[in-house]
Amino acid sequence: MKMDSVLNAMASFLRLISLLCLPILFAVSAIGSVSEGVAEDFSEDLLLKPLPDRKVLAHFHFQSTAPSSRSNSYGRHHHLFPKAISQLVHKYRIKEMELSFTQGRWRYDRWGGFDPISSSNAKPSGVELWAVFDVPPNEVDATWKNLTHSLSGLFCASINFLESSTSYSAPKWGFHPASENMRYGTLPREAVCTENLTPWLKLLPCRDKSGLSVLMDRPSIYKGFYHSQRLHLLSSEYDSNAVDLAIVLDQTLTVVLQPHSHRGTLGYSTATQLQPSWSLSSIFGRRVTGKCALARSSNVYIQLDRGLMAELQGMLGEQEMFAIIGASSEGSGSNPAFELSANPDRVHMEISSRDDKHLSVLYMFMVEEKYDDSEPLDLRFTWKIPVAWSIPQAPLHVTRFLLGSGNERGAIALQLKSTKPSDRLMPDTVISDSCSLLVRVFQVVPWYIKVYYHTLQVFIDDRPHTIANVVEKMQVSPSKDKVSPGVMEMLLKFPCGLKSAALTIEFDKGFLHIDEYPPDAHQGLDIPSAVISFPDFFASTQFMENNISKSPILSKWQGQSPILSYTEVLLVPFTTPDFSMPYNVITITCTVLALYFGSLLNVLRRRVGEEERFMKSKGTNNFHVSHLVSKSLARLRGRQWEPSESQSSSSISNSKSKLLFKVILVAGLAAAWQYYFGSGT
Amino acid sequence: MAEISEPSKPPQLDSGTSEAGLSQFAFDPKTMRNTKPGFKRLILTISVFSSFLLGLPFLWKSVEIYRSPLPFRDIDALSSHIESSPLQFPCTFRVIFVGFDSMASRAEQLKSSILDEMIKLSSKSSLCGSCSNNYAVSVVIESGSDCSQTRSDASSCSWRCGALSASDFAASLENGLHSADDFLEVALGGCSKSASGGRVYSVVVMNRGENVEATIGKYRHGWIVGRVSEAEAISKVAETFVKLLGNGGREEGLIPGEFMPVGADGKIFLSFNLLNADPDDWIYDWDFQTVDEVLLKPLIKELSPIANVSVESQVLYHTPTSSFSYWDNKQESYIFSTKDLPFFVNSNEWHLDTSIAAGGRSKILHFVVYIPSARECPLLLQLPDGQISETNGFISPMWGGVIVWNPKGCLRDRESKQHHRHMISYPELEKIVEVFLGQFRQLFGLKSNPQHVGLSGTFNILTSEKGFTEWEMDFLSRQHSCFNLHSCASSLGSLSRLVQSLPRMIIIDEIGKQVKYSLEAATLAQKNASVGVFDAAAISSRQARSLAEDAFFHPSIMSVSYFSFEHCFAVYSPFFLPVALHLAHSLIMLGLCGHQHIQMSIEQCPLW
Repeated sequence: MKMDSVLNAMASFLRLISLLCLPILFAVSAIGSVSEGVAEDFSEDLLLKPLPDRKVLAHFHFQSTAPSSRSNSYGRHHHLFPKAISQLVHKYRIKEMELSFTQGRWRYDRWGGFDPISSSNAKPSGVELWAVFDVPPNEVDATWKNLTHSLSGLFCASINFLESSTSYSAPKWGFHPASENMRYGTLPREAVCTENLTPWLKLLPCRDKSGLSVLMDRPSIYKGFYHSQRLHLLSSEYDSNAVDLAIVLDQTLTVVLQPHSHRGTLGYSTATQLQPSWSLSSIFGRRVTGKCALARSSNVYIQLDRGLMAELQGMLGEQEMFAIIGASSEGSGSNPAFELSANPDRVHMEISSRDDKHLSVLYMFMVEEKYDDSEPLDLRFTWKIPVAWSIPQAPLHVTRFLLGSGNERGAIALQLKSTKPSDRLMPDTVISDSCSLLVRVFQVVPWYIKVYYHTLQVFIDDRPHTIANVVEKMQVSPSKDKVSPGVMEMLLKFPCGLKSAALTIEFDKGFLHIDEYPPDAHQGLDIPSAVISFPDFFASTQFMENNISKSPILSKWQGQSPILSYTEVLLVPFTTPDFSMPYNVITITCTVLALYFGSLLNVLRRRVGEEERFMKSKGTNNFHVSHLVSKSLARLRGRQWEPSESQSSSSISNSKSKLLFKVILVAGLAAAWQYYFGSGT
Repeated sequence: MAEISEPSKPPQLDSGTSEAGLSQFAFDPKTMRNTKPGFKRLILTISVFSSFLLGLPFLWKSVEIYRSPLPFRDIDALSSHIESSPLQFPCTFRVIFVGFDSMASRAEQLKSSILDEMIKLSSKSSLCGSCSNNYAVSVVIESGSDCSQTRSDASSCSWRCGALSASDFAASLENGLHSADDFLEVALGGCSKSASGGRVYSVVVMNRGENVEATIGKYRHGWIVGRVSEAEAISKVAETFVKLLGNGGREEGLIPGEFMPVGADGKIFLSFNLLNADPDDWIYDWDFQTVDEVLLKPLIKELSPIANVSVESQVLYHTPTSSFSYWDNKQESYIFSTKDLPFFVNSNEWHLDTSIAAGGRSKILHFVVYIPSARECPLLLQLPDGQISETNGFISPMWGGVIVWNPKGCLRDRESKQHHRHMISYPELEKIVEVFLGQFRQLFGLKSNPQHVGLSGTFNILTSEKGFTEWEMDFLSRQHSCFNLHSCASSLGSLSRLVQSLPRMIIIDEIGKQVKYSLEAATLAQKNASVGVFDAAAISSRQARSLAEDAFFHPSIMSVSYFSFEHCFAVYSPFFLPVALHLAHSLIMLGLCGHQHIQMSIEQCPLW
């Protein structure tokens, strides 16, 4: 009946009944004029940046903001801001939330580790979710669980696996500075694809119908080397000191793409090789035909980072450098080093507190009305001279690996190598006499990796060091079997001149119950990325102009974002049982039991002595083994065995009944078989 | 047999010996066994076998899964009861004849003829939630000082003679229908409010003037004024009672009655969507905040007995339809016809989304205001008879409604790309909300015509500012409780069928409890309905439905045990098969060869 009514509802849904009649004009009292002033806002940005290893970084940034719901009982009526997100914020009382879907690994050494993009958009592969709630501490877990379910429905991903208490943790200070009521969880093995991108695009007012998001051609962006789609939500809805913007939703998509090189051969760039030239259509296969009609601003930026600018400065003269910096004033945006197909609308120069010439340059192109279907914006960047440069790096380059062999125990090693940042990048505190480098480590270890925290060892420049000298602050919450993962938060203090440092910690691999193994258990189990941050360093870019704070990318860059890097995900091979083992065990046990039972029964039932005696007496009557064999052979041939002696008539009737019994037995077995297995299938 | 008597060896001590042996050897009768040989083995084998058999139920029990006993018989009884006899409510009606001098003492006779007429009308319709066929009708004849009335039941509200003065009513009629309505509400007073024994619906028939005019007010009464013959009056009164006050003015076949757009948890989410088909042409925005506060608040308050209504709105962009329209020169507009409607709602591009705020079982009704792009503006809906729809909208039952709103002068503005952002003005919004109200009423199965054309002429129907009149609300709550019971019965019926069809499904106690309470609430609702207490019936029916749905959608019901019978077989057969073979063999040996087995040669025993 239930099903029927559902079907009926569907049927009647299709049978749309038009409203044919004129409704009564219900008396309604007219009120004052329509109130103006919807503060919902949306803007879009795209940043393109050539990378030293012949690749191009494309970074989309969409920002939606919504006003506070307290001012005008706003919150149920939306104009630009996605309704789903606003409802999410209100239902779960979210203060801040970040969700990222990543595929590939960010190469900190080649793609940078000291800029806002790498510190906020380089994410561990798979899904990472963290959220800060504004609920009483005892309700945080329940809220988190509900949130994971909502998000998993919203983004078509298995985020609901973060519901289990073994998969999320509550960082205190190691991950995020203000992390009260915070929960953090990752799913390293989550595959990311278009089904996650489509709901993410649905949150944009223009989706991928117009504006910069038109460039998101699925095959192009998914064949890149790195793909990270992120959603960051900041809500001051429940803050006591109200601000006008209650919810700020930042959606970013960061992709690293390989442009098709028209000239020069493939391979890692050398000083003599020309970097590949690229254009929007060559890397995305699409062009921008106009801005999203709803966006307040829609800009495309091309960034030349500090390393590249320093290199160009070394290669070119001052006059030529001026051509690069002042591209907008000049004719076609061309200069000795490269050529831009369009004139930038504005050039932003980074300013530095110390007088240094290695500054990054940002060319800004506004997507205006002048572009349309017939004349799309197809930005092209053509190199004229071969350049090789290195990109600014975080003070320490981090790698993490496993030590030991076998399936029983091992050790996690975290290696930090100095990238020798120039003094310019060092903050003032580091340069002072008590020179030290602070490093924060946040590591979540699943419960089946039983970490012995007392085995923590620190090596500085390959020499062991006492922990007390290095570890400033440490907080450990050991894992509980099948309940919660282990969390380690550490603040380390290294001397400035360090070349390399390493942390090792030993662990035992736990035994898992057969149904606790993930699918494809032979692949091994993952240890999520550790998060390394440098509390003294901030990636912040100050630009000369002050009136540029309207663009979400630039305003983001001007803020102080801490330098973060994620380590690799570790794959720990585990002893996997033979998953058919239960049946094997059952079979063996049962066979042994059956043997025991059968022989016991035989011992009790049969009269061995009697039979032996009987055998002996038969022995005179040729009752031999050969006798038996000939009998069974005859039986195999299907003939009635004829004993040497003549059979009495009674034996013939006996054999008939035997035959009958056999037939009945076989028929009965067949019937039983049919009954059980015929009905079963 | 002879060969056995030959053994050279003395017989074993513990085993039975042959008769031939016995005859040869003399035994001490004290130590000699006096039972038949083979008896011990028989006992042994049988005891093992019977313990084996005794163990089987335990084994069966151990692999059994927990199923809370469900009252299947009660569920079937409820379903069949609701299927066979739709829930009907007793209703009380009263006719007041004013200014009829000629029919002074015929109240009883009038009553019976009205009843006859009503039964004639109602015999065809046994709509769920309508008044039951044994109507309680009372007739009052007021003519000046004279006043006669039928004997009324003790329960119904008794009529006070002279309460309605003909001249005052006539005076109020002069001031318009609404003032007459208000006058009657005061005059008829307490009886139409929920008094003991339910509400009384009244019709005042007044002999005055020439033109006969029948009107239904926005409370629980109507009036017929004019030079009206007795027969005409009777047929009009009967129709008013049966078709309008009793049946909400709805006709069968308009919308299948079972679909009440209320969620199982008694909540409705009204999701308003403004769709800009192409924001590159123009962008329209609305101030829905004001609409919500001013226009929708009264409606939500009015509907609160039936459902808990929440409102939310959003504006979406880049949402073309998936149907095509054609240019019509005569209308100077683009036309889409009713046969295109199934393709109008474009679920690929209209990401209306369900609401996170709504719980799993709330009903979400989407109301879409579609603003066509410049390519197809103005866009008009053509009815099957070639007319252009005045509302330019349509509904889809249980889903919501769509209104196509054409910006003013969009044909002219198409060329000039001077757009961009516009607000829909408040008067326009009012018109949209009016259409929406009509659609909303239609989703509830109510018509929105200002006139009802019945068998005995037309009836004016006054409307309420709140969207629903009181007698319509009465009808809706009756219908609601009826449909709730229907849905409860069907949920429970499905559950029982599902449970019976899946023998390996785990059913926890909570489900059993929910089913039990749901049945109790359903019985209570039926009892209340038969007494005529609409409110209590509605409440307990809602409870019954929500409990039934809770039971049906209980998360644990999904955990059908995948512990299949084959698994059982695979786990237990390695033990039981070899053991059973041993046992069977020994039993057969015993059974067929018995105690002679010793005397017979092995090959003589069958099966060996």
